[in-house]
Amino acid sequence: MISQVQKRALILAVRAGELMMKNGAEVYRVEDTITRICKACHIPYVEVFATTTGVFVTIGSGGENGDIYTYIKSLDGGGTDLKKISDLNRFSREFTDTDLSVEDGMKRLTEIDNGKGYPLPARLLGAGLVASFFCSIFSGTIHDALCAFVIGMVSYAAAAFLDRYDINYFIHGFSCCGLATFLALLTDATGISGYYSPIVIGALMIFVPGVAITNSIRDFLSGDMLSGVSRLAEATVIAVSLAAGAGLVISLWKVIGGGIL
Amino acid sequence: MSSAEMIIPLLMGFAPTVGFCLLFHVPFRHIIPVALVGGSGWALYTFCISQDTGKVIGCFLAACLVGLLGDICSRTLKEASTIFTIPGIMPLVPGSGMYYTMLALINGDYTSAAAQGSETLFMAGAIALALLVIGSIIKIIISLKRKMYSV
Repeated sequence: MISQVQKRALILAVRAGELMMKNGAEVYRVEDTITRICKACHIPYVEVFATTTGVFVTIGSGGENGDIYTYIKSLDGGGTDLKKISDLNRFSREFTDTDLSVEDGMKRLTEIDNGKGYPLPARLLGAGLVASFFCSIFSGTIHDALCAFVIGMVSYAAAAFLDRYDINYFIHGFSCCGLATFLALLTDATGISGYYSPIVIGALMIFVPGVAITNSIRDFLSGDMLSGVSRLAEATVIAVSLAAGAGLVISLWKVIGGGIL
Repeated sequence: MSSAEMIIPLLMGFAPTVGFCLLFHVPFRHIIPVALVGGSGWALYTFCISQDTGKVIGCFLAACLVGLLGDICSRTLKEASTIFTIPGIMPLVPGSGMYYTMLALINGDYTSAAAQGSETLFMAGAIALALLVIGSIIKIIISLKRKMYSV
């Protein structure tokens, strides 16, 4: 028989897996965590199937007339929060090594989920750093780098604003990159910066799908083909959305905007 | 090669990696090691470019270094290796190639768009391949180690 405690442990395990997947962990890590938590609660039979869009867990008591329970959790996309991944990693290790109760574990998970990462100003600073340094790597002058710093911050602020409204991720990349390109063209036309290309590259680097690429390779490596393919597709779509945003604004600018200023 | 020529690329990789750390909420105590991983990856990339190896090979070697250092850090600091590899790999992602491909497409210069585009794809593929290779090698080493201890 599956006891009441084991059922709650299943819920705890799926919750932990859900949080990991949402914050940008690889599939094998999610499956490993869920299995570990279930095994720590002495569940004899655990089978996990995790993809980027859902987590499926079945537990069984084994034997001829054993119980079988399945928990299906559908997921939607989230951001990348490596602090939460680190916390969850430590949590799963702690849960299996010490006799932490399921209730306390649930409380810890809620704490981790509510935990705040860096505040928006710090992330804006990060975006500015990325944009300005990439601008200077691609032969931008100090002036360009300063413009890129501000434009990077503005476009990241726009991205954070759009995040609140659950905007489709294609439109998200498209509009953020479009805005950055428009501002870069504006500084170029008004003579604040020397040339717009390095600034656009700097701003583009903030939104580049590095996480999706890295994770898709890790999924392929561990044999999770389904997630590997879906993350690779996500990376491609994001890259296309960024290029389309910048491209559309530049061509529109050439057709209409350039003559006005 | 003077020491300044070595230090500047390290700094140029260090600062944007700190930026990515802030964007991805890397825990504060890990920012310096993560940034060092990213910085050394970028330094190797610029060194390869200066030796005329081409961007794709440079990307591959630099991503190998990032994967290796990331794994070493994750083992010594007892953290998930994603925390070190994701921000470390970011400076190498060919954002500029994407941009120049798009620019060439807009200008109707399809020859240069094809050249730029395929180079961009190869660079992304090289990063992926590097992580795959390093991951497999580490897996083999660890299973060999286990076997040696168990015998």
